[in-house]
Amino acid sequence: MTLLKTYKKDFSSKNKPPVVSVVGISKKFPGSIALDGVDFTILEGEVHALLGENGAGKTTLVKILYGIYVPDRGEIYVRGRKAQINSPKEAIRQGIVMVSQVPQLIDKLTVAENLILGLEKYGFITRVGKVRYFIREKSREVGIEVDPDTEVWKLSYTQKQLVELLRALLLNAKVLLLDEAITFLPLIEKKKFYKFIRDFANKSGSVILITHKIYEALEVADRITVLRLGRVVGTVPRSKVSPDVVRKMMFAERSSQVTYERLPMSTPRESAALEISDLWVMGDHGDHAVRGVSLTLRAGEVMGIAGIAGNGQKELIQAIVGLRRVEKGRIRLYSEDITNRSVSKVRIRGVGYIPDQPAKYGLSLENSIEENLAMLPSLTNRLINWGSIRDLARKLIKEFNIMTPSPKTPVKFLSGGNIMKVLVSRELLVARRLLVAYNPTRALDEVTAIMVRKIIKEKASTEGIGVLVASEDLDEILQISDRIAVMNSGRVVRVFSSSEAVRDEIEKLMVM
Amino acid sequence: MDAASYILSVAPAFMAYYLTSLGQGFFEKSGVLNLSIDGVFVLGIAVAYAASIYSCSPWVGLAAAVLTAVVFGMLLTYVTTKFPVSHGAAGLSIMFLGYGLAGLVGVAARNTYNEMVVSGIYPQFTLPVTPIAKVLMFAIPVGLGILLYLLEVRTKLGAAVRAVGEDPHAATSLGIDVLRVRLIAAALGYSLIGAGSAGFLTWVATWSEGTGINHGWIAYAVSLAAGRHPLLTVGTAGAFAILATYMYTLQAAYNLSPEIAKMIPFIVAIGAMVTFMSTPLRKKLAPPQSLGRRFFKEERTV
Repeated sequence: MTLLKTYKKDFSSKNKPPVVSVVGISKKFPGSIALDGVDFTILEGEVHALLGENGAGKTTLVKILYGIYVPDRGEIYVRGRKAQINSPKEAIRQGIVMVSQVPQLIDKLTVAENLILGLEKYGFITRVGKVRYFIREKSREVGIEVDPDTEVWKLSYTQKQLVELLRALLLNAKVLLLDEAITFLPLIEKKKFYKFIRDFANKSGSVILITHKIYEALEVADRITVLRLGRVVGTVPRSKVSPDVVRKMMFAERSSQVTYERLPMSTPRESAALEISDLWVMGDHGDHAVRGVSLTLRAGEVMGIAGIAGNGQKELIQAIVGLRRVEKGRIRLYSEDITNRSVSKVRIRGVGYIPDQPAKYGLSLENSIEENLAMLPSLTNRLINWGSIRDLARKLIKEFNIMTPSPKTPVKFLSGGNIMKVLVSRELLVARRLLVAYNPTRALDEVTAIMVRKIIKEKASTEGIGVLVASEDLDEILQISDRIAVMNSGRVVRVFSSSEAVRDEIEKLMVM
Repeated sequence: MDAASYILSVAPAFMAYYLTSLGQGFFEKSGVLNLSIDGVFVLGIAVAYAASIYSCSPWVGLAAAVLTAVVFGMLLTYVTTKFPVSHGAAGLSIMFLGYGLAGLVGVAARNTYNEMVVSGIYPQFTLPVTPIAKVLMFAIPVGLGILLYLLEVRTKLGAAVRAVGEDPHAATSLGIDVLRVRLIAAALGYSLIGAGSAGFLTWVATWSEGTGINHGWIAYAVSLAAGRHPLLTVGTAGAFAILATYMYTLQAAYNLSPEIAKMIPFIVAIGAMVTFMSTPLRKKLAPPQSLGRRFFKEERTV
């Protein structure tokens, strides 16, 4: 730790003036301390990564800078002047703009309508049409193609994030707060965002980048600050650290648990857990997203589906659990035909499901962990035995190290990563015969992600359940899978056994 | 009576229902569930009646009704947006407050009026019965409806009102002051509700305790049946106004019991809602996503 303290004093960018400083910031939430006396500085023209395990307080810190939360104690200085940022409006005035993991845009409004809302120079009676030209001009300038008159719900996730970036530029942002804004983007788009971030910093902008990917931080950031349990562990310049040092700062002694080695092969049984034959499923935009997919997953086997987002993986998984209509083809679960069965009928047969965007599709945020367990037909009968549900909740909290004041706390009070843990732990419990998952560890820190992968693999091996995992994280696919199917344009283009899988070849098939 | 006279007879009811439901729809677009409407409507009528008598001018009555409605609308908005209070409870409380105050204000004014009549000096109001007046009773509200529609879909204010109704947290993040926008929506919406309540007096032409009760709810149904769309509301307000104006004729013609006749507007509202929700209009006319939801500024969510 002495080494880290030395690093903390070493500012590689000494000549750059600080744009925003926070001094002694503390923030409590019901039952938890999110930040405890945090000091933090961002310099002009730097990309500053904020790292930490789930629940370390990263999001709380940037939400304070953006005026969504008001700190209980501490001060904020913007260009040396003390600032009271008690609303996003005030933050925008100070040149601070945030882009979150979940796009904060209003779906029913057009792009132009969304963007005009923050522009103070336009009064309430201004016609929205007046900013159309301005938006077009600015978007061309930064190479983002977007029609100002499109309603936001028609945009893809990536396009929404691009609109958020465009918004920051229109608002003339000097400090950009990216709260896991890149996490859910497909690989190729991520690279574009890295370039955008670098260009923004080169033009004297400052970026705070929240991520739990150490390599991402090392690729784009100038300095890295690590938070743990609401406190600053240290600030280090990128040039002087290795992934191992950062990992140690994030997880202390638990960092030794991080490994990207392939997990031991499981022993698939004879019987097929899931048989998919010539499956055709419609996408959201009126054309086929899944085009004649055939796969057989054996009991006890983990099959990974590699592919760039938007190539039919999501629709395939939704069709399996009954969330999307199958147009043609059959799905069989242990020889039983479950094609177009309702979700509850599929789930009650021992199918666990981890969806993408857990906060939206996986859990009810208003309810507690206990209630989120009790609402599953596979875990309760018509009458709920709250005693056993409580014991179950406590067991999961302990096993997965879920940071929550109690099993009765509404899930919305938990950090993003801890919400994901609630979902994953519940679904692992439900999956008695089959587990289907889409990006199951995307919002989790490294230690938890690897723990989850190990549990999934072990469950497949020992309990003989079939596991189908679609993920955009190739490290995850390579680590967990016994076989890897590559999906491109709605088709499975090749299936590799884990021993013959080569990263380069898979990547080529993903983008061809 | 010729066809034109039949249509013109509907004008006062149309004006009252259309203005009120127009205000109702616009206000609810901002995400505040407006259950105060009937109470404030009844109070508006009483205030318009009282102010007209005390000032001897129906225009002062109109202004007083508008002002009163705006105050109560803004009170509902402030309470439900500034504090995590149930919209339903706050709305219904204000409704009952409205009923009570309406009695107090109206009865006092009626007593004064009776004393004035005894003394021989009292204001006499002429109802707008000329065809031109009745055409204006259609044209002015529809003109206001078109203006409101343009405001809603073309301006930053319209976008802001819809934004806070859909997702107040995201709207805050986009740089909107939710309370301010909702207060503006309340001021505009409730001024129309106030005007509608004053307009109601041109239809019933008298005041007694309880005048207007349930008509606020009918305006609520008018707005719901049109999916809160300012222009579609012309159609539903027209239909409901015809029903209300010719209620007795219909009852006699079809031998309906008064109870059933009173239920018709609400049955029509449910029918209309179900109909448009099963068509592609569903997306366009869906209620604001955060309608009636409590808003905590500092809620910790992902």
